[in-house]
Amino acid sequence: MDEKKIHGLLTELGRRWTEPVRPALGEEIKQRIPHRLSRHKIGWETVNIIIDLRLSKSVAAAAIVLAMILLLNLFGGRDSSVRGILQDSVLLVKYWGGATENDVSVLRSKYEHLLARGEDVRWYGESVDRKDGLALLMHHRLSNGNYMITFVDGREREVDSEELVELLARMLQRKAK
Amino acid sequence: MNEKSKLAEQKANPAYLTGEQRNLGVSRELLHQSQDSLSARLRAGDRAVATELVDKYYEQIYLFMRRLGHDRHAAEDLTQETFFSAWHHIGQLKDDKALNGWLYRIAANVSRLHWRRHRHQETVGIEQIDVADSGEAGPDAAGRREQLGQVRDAVARLSANLRQTIVLHYMQQLTIAEAAEAAGVRQGTFKSRLNRALRALKESMA
Repeated sequence: MDEKKIHGLLTELGRRWTEPVRPALGEEIKQRIPHRLSRHKIGWETVNIIIDLRLSKSVAAAAIVLAMILLLNLFGGRDSSVRGILQDSVLLVKYWGGATENDVSVLRSKYEHLLARGEDVRWYGESVDRKDGLALLMHHRLSNGNYMITFVDGREREVDSEELVELLARMLQRKAK
Repeated sequence: MNEKSKLAEQKANPAYLTGEQRNLGVSRELLHQSQDSLSARLRAGDRAVATELVDKYYEQIYLFMRRLGHDRHAAEDLTQETFFSAWHHIGQLKDDKALNGWLYRIAANVSRLHWRRHRHQETVGIEQIDVADSGEAGPDAAGRREQLGQVRDAVARLSANLRQTIVLHYMQQLTIAEAAEAAGVRQGTFKSRLNRALRALKESMA
């Protein structure tokens, strides 16, 4: 069958390949017309991009995490080697996925990671009273000379050297009691 | 509605035109003018025009869904969904954009999403081919029906994209520009898809 004949048949099929439409359908659609027709503009292109990406939630989450880490590494002046990024990713995933189950082990991972990067960091986890919410788990020296301290419950705070000494002293006092 | 737009819509009615005017292609031009005024009123939030739009298009959209292979029930749901979606995207309707292309694009997207959600659902096209008014009788009518049935089956075997291309252009009788808009591709891409679809049909029916 040549293309011209197919063309003719298709045109005819367009007229004859039909069926009656339920008349009430039109009325049903009309009943659903909103009282105020919306005029917001989300481009179809945007909608199509969202639809066509076909990302599962976990893949999308992983992509966001990776993008955040890359941005942090690029603009935060941190180690941007592949290994560094990988370690950050693992840490972040561990932090998000398991923080409620085992906060200390997650923070330990952070400590190990910082240590591996050659940062000035100190871990008190072995001797600390984990029931004491004010107990320090670790401290990390920052580039501005201050310290980032991490409490047992995961809270973090930037302090100067004097405050750090004071906090450590109080912690030792409480432990002695 | 002002007198000018009323007149344009009245003139767009093919029944209003003389045979000569139809031959001159005036009908389509006036139809576009009519669509423009309809678009403008829709964008202004005129609810009466929305009703008019439903009257004008609901059968077309339903048949479009059926020709894409949705069963009756799904086709009705998807037709409703198309209009529902249209009400929420009226802001994207532009003056220079054909109403046809815009509405069919929404319908095509609604259909695509449905297939994506129901990947394993089989296509169920319209079985019936109406040759009763073709003037042919007896064996001629039967032969014609058989040929049309073959074409219909070959269309049903095409990939979703190619089937949509054929349906938009031949079954829904959209122009290349409107059909390309509906498919969300450039006209050149649509033409090349159309050629591929015709070649595939030719091979399938050889």
